[in-house]
Amino acid sequence: MLEVKNLHVSVAGKKIIDGLSLKVADGEVAAIMGPNGSGKSTLSYVVAGRADYEVTEGSIRLDGVDLLDKTPAERAALGLFLVFQYPLEIPGVATMTFLKAAMNAQRKAREQAELSTPEFMKKVREAAAKLNIPQDMLKRPVNLGFSGGEKKRMEILQMALLEPKFAILDEMDSGLDIDALRICAEGVNALRSKERGLLVITHYQRLLDYIAPDTVHVMHKGRIVRSGGPELALELEKSGYADYAEEAA
Amino acid sequence: MGAILQNPTQAEQDLLKSFSAERSDTQRQAAFERFARAGLPSRRNEAWHYTDLRAKLRAAPPRASRPDASVLDQAKEKLAPVDRFRIVTVDGYFSPELSDDLTCVQGVKLRPLVADDAILKRLAEGAEDALLDLNTAFAEGGFALEIAPEVHIDAVFELVALDGALGALGRFGRTVVVLGDGARAAILETRAESGEGFGDSAIFLSLGRGAELDYACRAQGGAAVEVQTFVARLEEEARLRAVSFLAGAPFLRRQLFISCAGANAEVHLAGAALLRGREHADTTLALTHDAPSCISRETFKYVLADQANGVFQGRIIVPPHAQKTDGKMLCRGLLLSDDAAMSAKPELEIFADDVACGHGAAVAKLDQNQVFYMESRGIPREEARAILVEAFAAEAFDLLDDEELRDLLKADLARLLARGDFA
Repeated sequence: MLEVKNLHVSVAGKKIIDGLSLKVADGEVAAIMGPNGSGKSTLSYVVAGRADYEVTEGSIRLDGVDLLDKTPAERAALGLFLVFQYPLEIPGVATMTFLKAAMNAQRKAREQAELSTPEFMKKVREAAAKLNIPQDMLKRPVNLGFSGGEKKRMEILQMALLEPKFAILDEMDSGLDIDALRICAEGVNALRSKERGLLVITHYQRLLDYIAPDTVHVMHKGRIVRSGGPELALELEKSGYADYAEEAA
Repeated sequence: MGAILQNPTQAEQDLLKSFSAERSDTQRQAAFERFARAGLPSRRNEAWHYTDLRAKLRAAPPRASRPDASVLDQAKEKLAPVDRFRIVTVDGYFSPELSDDLTCVQGVKLRPLVADDAILKRLAEGAEDALLDLNTAFAEGGFALEIAPEVHIDAVFELVALDGALGALGRFGRTVVVLGDGARAAILETRAESGEGFGDSAIFLSLGRGAELDYACRAQGGAAVEVQTFVARLEEEARLRAVSFLAGAPFLRRQLFISCAGANAEVHLAGAALLRGREHADTTLALTHDAPSCISRETFKYVLADQANGVFQGRIIVPPHAQKTDGKMLCRGLLLSDDAAMSAKPELEIFADDVACGHGAAVAKLDQNQVFYMESRGIPREEARAILVEAFAAEAFDLLDDEELRDLLKADLARLLARGDFA
């Protein structure tokens, strides 16, 4: 379970998140919707532990463990995963090297034995096949020259291999055409389970047609201004975010 | 002799004195006279602006003498068995005892250099430098490796330079490698003359028509003050791929003088220098396209930690007759610390009108977004940084065609990074 309590975050002195509280249970798929600049991506980065964000108040807990004093790698080893809106290209680092380093680092942190090369290869091959990722894509440097769809598929592949307890999908639909969106969404849906919570951040209802949420939250000016069930997303699609802008103003 | 130089430093006096005692041949004598007029280069000398040897070399230690049996025995212990042809020098002196016997290898000749060796005359043309002159004046006991025309050698030749005698000494190794027309070879130069003292070594490469050479130099460790000179001359359609990997030397100048003397020759050069502490490494390149339609590519990379100092000077010279020259030079620095410094000076001197030449230099820190991306996958920060540094540096080795050489350098790099000094 991810539990965010009264979170306040500033970047370079400017307040971005202003008293946000949110709970996502194990097995729950929660969606956060909101207009540009409402602080959605900041929330995902702060949970993942990116530097340059100043948390002035509040707490973030994963299964009761406080994340705020943990490094990003420690958070990952505790079971947190972030699907990046814009996955990074890393020239010179082979995808397989990167995947192996990540999987083994997490195993090491959990005091598990490292994967042997054949075990690792088998896992990657199987997971890649499910996501239509060809072998030659795995031979290239991490995300280098990949299309938007390929990059997102690579994110889902990493999620499948790392088997997180909780994943945040930051605008997973950006840069994707309908076919790529469907493949990625199917990949995510295959990873839904009773133990795994998901937080889906998006502007649009469209993504939620593919990944059906249990709960929907509206974020505006750095806090949750309304929560409800899936019907809330449909309502927003019709009325837009204008009401909330007025309400908050 | 000494009177020619105004206000000689202690080191210059030492060097001048140490020459007058011996007999010499004409090449030696001429080189020494040039040195005696010029002295050690300082920052006032443009080619040495960032590496002030005159200030750095306070005194010149006595020259190492030919190693005796006990020195050779000790040196031998540093040599692990390898699957390569190995040619060993100790304190700059070729040691047949420690080297592999190549007499039965068809088309290969290994021999000592002799006074006024004819082979050197043409090779040294156009390489004007005080330290090369000093090497010419003082080097004894060098060797020549000659590969006959059209002979292709699959095994790698490893040229190992070891130190032998203890204490601060001057070492002046000198090596010549000749590839006849159409010959092919791969050479690994391992420079491991460490400790106190002063090193001034030179290697001369001659590539005949259509000859092809993969060359890698790994300089790990080095004398307190070390200068390495690399001179290469390529005839028509010859191809040279040369890579250097510099790490662990306190104060190193590596200078390359390369001439594309025949049309359609190709030179691919790269280097990776990983420096830490107060290490200083200077790579200075002068590449002359002395014939039409030659291609050259240069990529030199520096990873600088702590208070390390990296220098790259690259000059591509294209005289009027070298039409259709295609040259590109790039220098990239990665600063891991606020106290590290990088000086880059790429230059083009173009006198022909139909050429495609370019150069660039970029110095940056590690990309924090890439580091965070890797961390978010569970890779601890130090490890993520090491992976990025390795990727940055290892790219320099990719131009080598010889897989064994490439793998060797990559393994060396991985070992160096595993110590954690560059995270």
